[in-house]
Amino acid sequence: MSSAKIAHSARVLFATLVGLLMAAPLFYMLTNSLMTAAQTSDLTPQLIPHNLDLHFSNYTAALSGPTEVIYAQSFINSGIFTFFVVLLQWALCVSGGLVIAKMRFRSRNVITALLGVSLFIPILTTLIPTFFVTLKLGIVNTYPGLILPIVAQTGFGTLLFRQYISQMPEELFDAARIDGANWWMILRRMVIPLARPATGAYVAISVLTAWNMYLWPLVAAQSSHLEVLTQTLASLGNQTFGATSPQNIVYAAIVIVTLPMIIVFLAVQPAFVRGLTGSGVE
Amino acid sequence: MPEPSIATNNAPAASVAPKRPRTGRRDGRSAILMMGPNVGMFSLFVVIPIVAGIYLSFTTWNIDNSPKWVGLANYTKMFNDPIVGVAVGNTVKFMLFGVIPTVLIALGLAMLINVRFRFVGVVRSLYLIPAAMSFAASAIVWRYIFLDGPGYGVVNWVISQFGVPPPNWLVSTTYALPALDVIAIWLSLPVATILYLAALQRIPASVIEAATLDGAGLIRRVRYIIWPMVRPMTILVAIVALLSFTNGSFDLVNILTPTGGTNYATTTLIFYIYQQAFAYGLYGYAAALAVLQIVLIGGALVALRVFYLLGNRRS
Repeated sequence: MSSAKIAHSARVLFATLVGLLMAAPLFYMLTNSLMTAAQTSDLTPQLIPHNLDLHFSNYTAALSGPTEVIYAQSFINSGIFTFFVVLLQWALCVSGGLVIAKMRFRSRNVITALLGVSLFIPILTTLIPTFFVTLKLGIVNTYPGLILPIVAQTGFGTLLFRQYISQMPEELFDAARIDGANWWMILRRMVIPLARPATGAYVAISVLTAWNMYLWPLVAAQSSHLEVLTQTLASLGNQTFGATSPQNIVYAAIVIVTLPMIIVFLAVQPAFVRGLTGSGVE
Repeated sequence: MPEPSIATNNAPAASVAPKRPRTGRRDGRSAILMMGPNVGMFSLFVVIPIVAGIYLSFTTWNIDNSPKWVGLANYTKMFNDPIVGVAVGNTVKFMLFGVIPTVLIALGLAMLINVRFRFVGVVRSLYLIPAAMSFAASAIVWRYIFLDGPGYGVVNWVISQFGVPPPNWLVSTTYALPALDVIAIWLSLPVATILYLAALQRIPASVIEAATLDGAGLIRRVRYIIWPMVRPMTILVAIVALLSFTNGSFDLVNILTPTGGTNYATTTLIFYIYQQAFAYGLYGYAAALAVLQIVLIGGALVALRVFYLLGNRRS
């Protein structure tokens, strides 16, 4: 083997080892979720279940019975929250993106600037007044109160679609207009189908963001029937160690909550990367 | 209205009417209809809260009553509240010790995986997969890794193998904030690495090759070629990390140190705002603190911009 080849192999090996280290907390979570309670609280940290005896029963124990920590209702709430946030916000962003990218009207620059500035003012910093507005509308502790203020964070999505749509050739729009299409038809029949890659990128990023959101649900959904999964997990993190739930069950619970997103993430990874970088990586 | 409504009310007229010159085309009405829901929602839940926040900061409000105007009282209180200084200090520390390592490590990781081999996709996934995790879920996994509970967690087990008594991370006044930083760095690295990887791939291979042939070692290549060429991306990475750490400075603190740490060791400004409002019902005071938070974020962004411009002038 030439020295260049050896160097290359060494680099690949090193990159793989570092990658395994980066993902190690996830493997640790997975293996511990398959152990007995006794093994997870062993004085020496355990990396692999004894005799490769995999206790999948931890998963059912986390979902039902006396050790139940993940409630079906939280799962449904997280699903409803994520679905409607992404769907409604997508509708606002793709139409808004078209307007800013291709239509001529006053105050276009003002709106674009406001959307841009909003990226630096996360809902976290306007938490109290957003809560104030939600309260005044009388929708605290309801699904709309949980969902709509997040739907309204349209800055990122609108600018993403604007970027993508503004690269579509002007002639396409002129031709559609000459054929008598109005802007709604242009949006439905032309822009949405052509902007499918942008939609992929947008959905990839916002599904993860919505599913993993913690602070706003904590404030807007104070009653337990609206609780989302991050709140459920947080209450597991808050409790005194091992006092109520055994570690292996808690690990299983985290796997159950995280696994859907890991699967989504692996499936949409190229779209996710495209959404962040504006292109892809090779 | 930019367009007379009579013209648009004659529906068929649109296609029959003589074509307007392209430059004169105005889409005001359709634009307003199509942009309306977006701008309406955005105004209601983003613009109005920003304005309302400033108003609330001059009031006392406890949810049940309407806000009562108190002038500058909240601001006077803020400047005399010793915990505010602690919280700002913690926030700045959390950001600096979080964002700077994230930037440096992410560039290293991106360089490491900017290579082609057969399973590069799988290996890159290992680096990126923490992006799928929430602060909430990772908080708990890392809590076990830093474990202070029944057995030792991995980190403390390793430390104890060297015969050093391991710290009680989350309870310690010294180590709690760095421990939270480690978790937030781990969660911020995937996105930062993706951004750097894209920037690295825009550097023409010939530039690097030429430098290598001229005998430039890794350190010189990073210092004189790669670092200057990815600099615009560094600003973006820093901004994205800053926003992610802003989130983390609430989620991680509230989940792992729900009282704000021993002697306020992990009380960040966001956490303090939340605590004042939702634990003590001091919404007006919390709104004043939030104004301070926005000023600080603005300050950080301006600082980044100044660094960038100064760097430009030097090179």
